[in-house]
Amino acid sequence: MIAPVPYFILEFGDELVYLSAFTLTLFLFALVFTLFALFSRPERQVDIAFGGDAYATKEISLPEMRFRRFMAIACGLASMGAVVTGDLFNFTLFVSLVGICNLGIVAAVKNKHVQEAAFQYGIVALAATVPLFGAAAMIAASTGTLSMVELWKVTTPPVPAIISAFLVLGVMGEGMAPFYAAKAEMFRAPGAPYVIMCSLSSLLIFLRVIEIVLVI
Amino acid sequence: MWEQYSIGLLFVFIAGVIAFYALVREKDDLHRLLLLDLTEIVGLGIVALLGTDLAEALILPGLVVGIAELLALSQVYIRKEGLRERPTPGLDIEVIRADAPLIISILLIVYGLLLSGFTGGGVAGLGVVFYIMSRGHREKFEILEMASGISWAVWIVAFFIFMFAPECWLLALFLAAIGILLKVTAKMSLVGTMWGGQP
Repeated sequence: MIAPVPYFILEFGDELVYLSAFTLTLFLFALVFTLFALFSRPERQVDIAFGGDAYATKEISLPEMRFRRFMAIACGLASMGAVVTGDLFNFTLFVSLVGICNLGIVAAVKNKHVQEAAFQYGIVALAATVPLFGAAAMIAASTGTLSMVELWKVTTPPVPAIISAFLVLGVMGEGMAPFYAAKAEMFRAPGAPYVIMCSLSSLLIFLRVIEIVLVI
Repeated sequence: MWEQYSIGLLFVFIAGVIAFYALVREKDDLHRLLLLDLTEIVGLGIVALLGTDLAEALILPGLVVGIAELLALSQVYIRKEGLRERPTPGLDIEVIRADAPLIISILLIVYGLLLSGFTGGGVAGLGVVFYIMSRGHREKFEILEMASGISWAVWIVAFFIFMFAPECWLLALFLAAIGILLKVTAKMSLVGTMWGGQP
């Protein structure tokens, strides 16, 4: 149990947001990358035909670009929420929101291989909500609270390791997108900066769940 | 109480193992999508075992997120398989082609309004579902979205009154009841539109 030293706690009843050195860093990361997604232009790939001078630039249609940018920004906002929230159930909700947004970013590409990969990822993400929500509910059942500030007090009984394991399993399932992105199809798909948001959001929620497991 | 919780948890875990085993065995994508819904219910079961007010407050967002993911995933499936929508006619039953659905729906909606709150929303929504299902229809999604948005705003106003002017709790209670009535009605009628027609 390593209780963080929060700079600042914002309470709405029993739901709360706190900023410690760790969560503040993660939050700023998410903020900066969301701004990148907001202002950057999508990458336009150039296909070169071997053995000749021919090359072609791929055009990205405006609606597709808009949709993916919207999803990338939504994903950034969801990751910001996931890293600063001090309520475990809100954390799980934000994490599954990150999962949905990642699915949206990937699935917007009109390419059969990409959509196949997106569907497989979606199945993993949806199945992962079971351990995710289950872990939050079992933490509430075993300690009587979902607030991180209560959980890191010494008086609160420690959470059994198996429940923490479930929580980590759930977050891993939701943040699975980059592993599917390792399939080359996803990065060959046009609109590069938005795919980065998948990787970044997964990284952020992984880092945050490590903090949560250490603290509770 | 702990004993009961543990026994319940045991049963839910057995159900989970069965659901996930089915998911692993199944190879057809559409069937996997349907089985995912089954695993979702296991997750909700774990939450429900809490058995307090908190469980009620947690199930609703859990359910909504689960349904949202399921809808997103089924859209991906439709796109992936290149499925097209085909127009479906309404139910071809003699009684339904007459005015019966209209009368029954109005009765249900009026009864729902009298009930108000979550149950009322359910009943009124059922009326709208029944009406839309029994007609070949072209619904206007904007209206449903607008109703949903208004109900959300009403709800937020009610919460603000609860927090900042607790002495007006009765007004806030009524506002919240109206909000949830509209919300559930809109949600239920969206279910009805899945019967067919073009979005």
